[in-house]
Amino acid sequence: MAFVLTFLLRRLSQGIVIVLLVGFVIFSLLRIVPGDPVRIMVGPMATEEQVEQIAEELGLRDPLPVQFGRYLSDLARGDLGNSFIKATSGASVAGGRDDGSAARAQVLDLIVAAIPFSALLAGLGVLLALIFSIPLGIAAGLYPNGWIGRATFAISSVFVSLPNIWLGILLILIISVQLGWLPAIGYKGVAYAVLPAIVLAVELSAVIVRALASSVAATMQENFVQAGIVRGLTMRHMITHHVLRNSAIPMLNLFGAQLGGLLLGSLFVVEYIFNYPGLGLLTVNAVFQRDFPVIQGVAILTTAVLVLINILVDLISAGIDRRLQY
Amino acid sequence: MSATRRSFLKSGLALGGIAATSQLSAPFVRTALAGQSSNSVIFASGEPLTGNWDPTSHTILGQINFEGYVFGRLTKTPMRPENPSEIQYELATGHKVISENILEWTLRQGITFHNGKPFKAEDVKATFEYASQPGKSAWYPGPVDVEIVDDYTVRLNTENHGYPATAYILLASFLPIMSAEDIADGAISQTPNGTGPFKFVEQRGDETIMAAFDDFHEGRPIIDEFRFAYMGDANTRVLALLGGEADIIERLEPEQHDTLAERDGVRVKRTVSTENKYLHFRCNKAPFDDVRLRKAVCHAIDRDLITEILGAAGHASSSYVSPVKLGGSDIANYPTYDPEESQRLLAEAGYPRGNGLPELEYITSTGFYPKTKEYGELITALLQEQGFNVKLTVLETAAWLERIYQPESGEAPGHLVDVGWATGSPEPDLVLRPMWHSSQSLITGFEDAEVDAALDAQQAEGDPAARLKLIEEGVMPKLADKVPSLSLFTSVLIHGMQSNLEGAYFYPNGPIDLSKASYT
Repeated sequence: MAFVLTFLLRRLSQGIVIVLLVGFVIFSLLRIVPGDPVRIMVGPMATEEQVEQIAEELGLRDPLPVQFGRYLSDLARGDLGNSFIKATSGASVAGGRDDGSAARAQVLDLIVAAIPFSALLAGLGVLLALIFSIPLGIAAGLYPNGWIGRATFAISSVFVSLPNIWLGILLILIISVQLGWLPAIGYKGVAYAVLPAIVLAVELSAVIVRALASSVAATMQENFVQAGIVRGLTMRHMITHHVLRNSAIPMLNLFGAQLGGLLLGSLFVVEYIFNYPGLGLLTVNAVFQRDFPVIQGVAILTTAVLVLINILVDLISAGIDRRLQY
Repeated sequence: MSATRRSFLKSGLALGGIAATSQLSAPFVRTALAGQSSNSVIFASGEPLTGNWDPTSHTILGQINFEGYVFGRLTKTPMRPENPSEIQYELATGHKVISENILEWTLRQGITFHNGKPFKAEDVKATFEYASQPGKSAWYPGPVDVEIVDDYTVRLNTENHGYPATAYILLASFLPIMSAEDIADGAISQTPNGTGPFKFVEQRGDETIMAAFDDFHEGRPIIDEFRFAYMGDANTRVLALLGGEADIIERLEPEQHDTLAERDGVRVKRTVSTENKYLHFRCNKAPFDDVRLRKAVCHAIDRDLITEILGAAGHASSSYVSPVKLGGSDIANYPTYDPEESQRLLAEAGYPRGNGLPELEYITSTGFYPKTKEYGELITALLQEQGFNVKLTVLETAAWLERIYQPESGEAPGHLVDVGWATGSPEPDLVLRPMWHSSQSLITGFEDAEVDAALDAQQAEGDPAARLKLIEEGVMPKLADKVPSLSLFTSVLIHGMQSNLEGAYFYPNGPIDLSKASYT
């Protein structure tokens, strides 16, 4: 128990530093790249005077450290600020002649509204990936030189090479447009998450299958496997009770990293292609529209989630194998 | 075959699984989840709507499209190339020029707003006076006083404001008529309330739901429900159309036009738009403060090659405004591709073969207009061929938007800028004044007393025929001679739609009239 508490205390304090650092980098980069958010907010025909007035009101002309300090102080109170672009109604306030401040949505509300959609998509993607990868990865690990091992290697090579944009469009064209089996664009029910989840699963499977196969194959070479057989345990028992358990630790670590990849990479691209209303679509649109508060909010949230996942993975790994001390 | 307890359980589980799958499969079938009635139209917009429903509060094309469904106007202008200035009366039944500064409108009776309020002269007065306030909207030439003659007659008076009231003849087709009550109490920002064929129901995320207005004065639309859905990505819009999740989509790329044109079940519609695409010179700084260099650039550009690159998205034109606008016919002295003339002008300006010219930055965008990067590269190559030392800067939309306008102080960035200008009326002044009148010159910084005088003269002319002559023989030849900008081509709006949707009219500035549309 004392170990767990010390572990959590140490890792969480490290995590907070990481989140703050990432937050500062994102915060600074957003203000360095070209593209004035106020110009997008008020539209192209607004005068420079109007632009500057709203920029001043929003504090965008203050020095960077002042802006970041203010942001952190709000953040400490759980306030991620208001979107520059999205209205509470779900519409956009961009292009209006006023700053639409009364109607601008809370970033936290936007994120909270988008999380269930992304969670569903990510969960379904991981589930499909595991259903596909676990049997195939274990079989390939047990028979690395057999046909199943070679076929698995070939499949994972193909999967890892498929660009998710291309695969997404192809799946929409075949499954949704040609065959009419599944809906594809937007979200009106769980069915809308299936096609994008398949795209995520394909990308994840490629990595999970290979990692699992090599982990199982490596464990099978360990002395304890032969020792168990010599002592009268069946191979089936050895695999189900010992090999898979020992192969799980590298998989857990991989999973931490892959979930991060899902949140930060594929999910964003896939949600944009499918017009799926999760965190990814929210963020991509926010980037195009220079919606600083939303980008910052999502960046801080995803960094925090990544840090937490990694802490959790390390904790579980230590639980499985007490020799591991992170 | 004997049945054991284990096999029975297995069979039971299998049957249960099949039954559960059959229950679950329903939501997984696309058609079962379409979610809209068969008499519903989903429009996939390339732009989101703003949260403020006041039509005078923005310059967003997507929102202007939306207003076309909800609001009525005094007139409609179909803007067909064969008769750009044709006027059809909508909420008005006629107009009369009383004097240069007084324009009278007679109004249609028996019309109500979506909230039940009868439409009367007070609404026209409130709308015109509200929209024309200085700084309120970019589209109107100045304040106007509106006199109510009776409940169905109004007079627009500009005597105190220094411009002719006739400027509103064509602009009337662009100004959505709002309820006087909504303007007075500020409700216009909160809820769109018009006299158009569809009434606003609710905003659901990125989707705006509208329903047919039973009391629409031209008869209830056949379409029951209209959904305005934002889909930012052009590929996603095409896939939504093909998958039946959208019924009309906009802003297709030329390649997408060609692909959809060959497919069954959908069709494409090309509409020559009100938008011209320009290569603007920064005329208020060197070296393009020298007209000879501007002309040398114009003669170095082969515009036929540009329209080839644009394919279905471009329409060749040689005028400073679109052919669907008043005065948009081709200009006789418009610069043509002539490399020899380009060389002669370069030498005359003191830069033979471009020697001695500074590096010239050409700013363009990607992700907003079709093919800007591609034809930007072509223009760069053509200019370099003549000796111009041109550097092409391709910016994504937000960064480009920040750099296109003249700042209030200091120099605007770059030397050449690619910008389009789309407006919702055949009125040419919506383009001519913001672009080239020295009182505005938003992008070029161009100042020329002769051009100003020509622009003022045509604006002051109340007779449409005489005005057209002043534009065609006064304004346009002067602009072609001084070339503050080079109009490259006229944009073409490309829409895709389900092939069984009939009766829609596509306006050249984007809005679609679905009041008579139906599925066949």
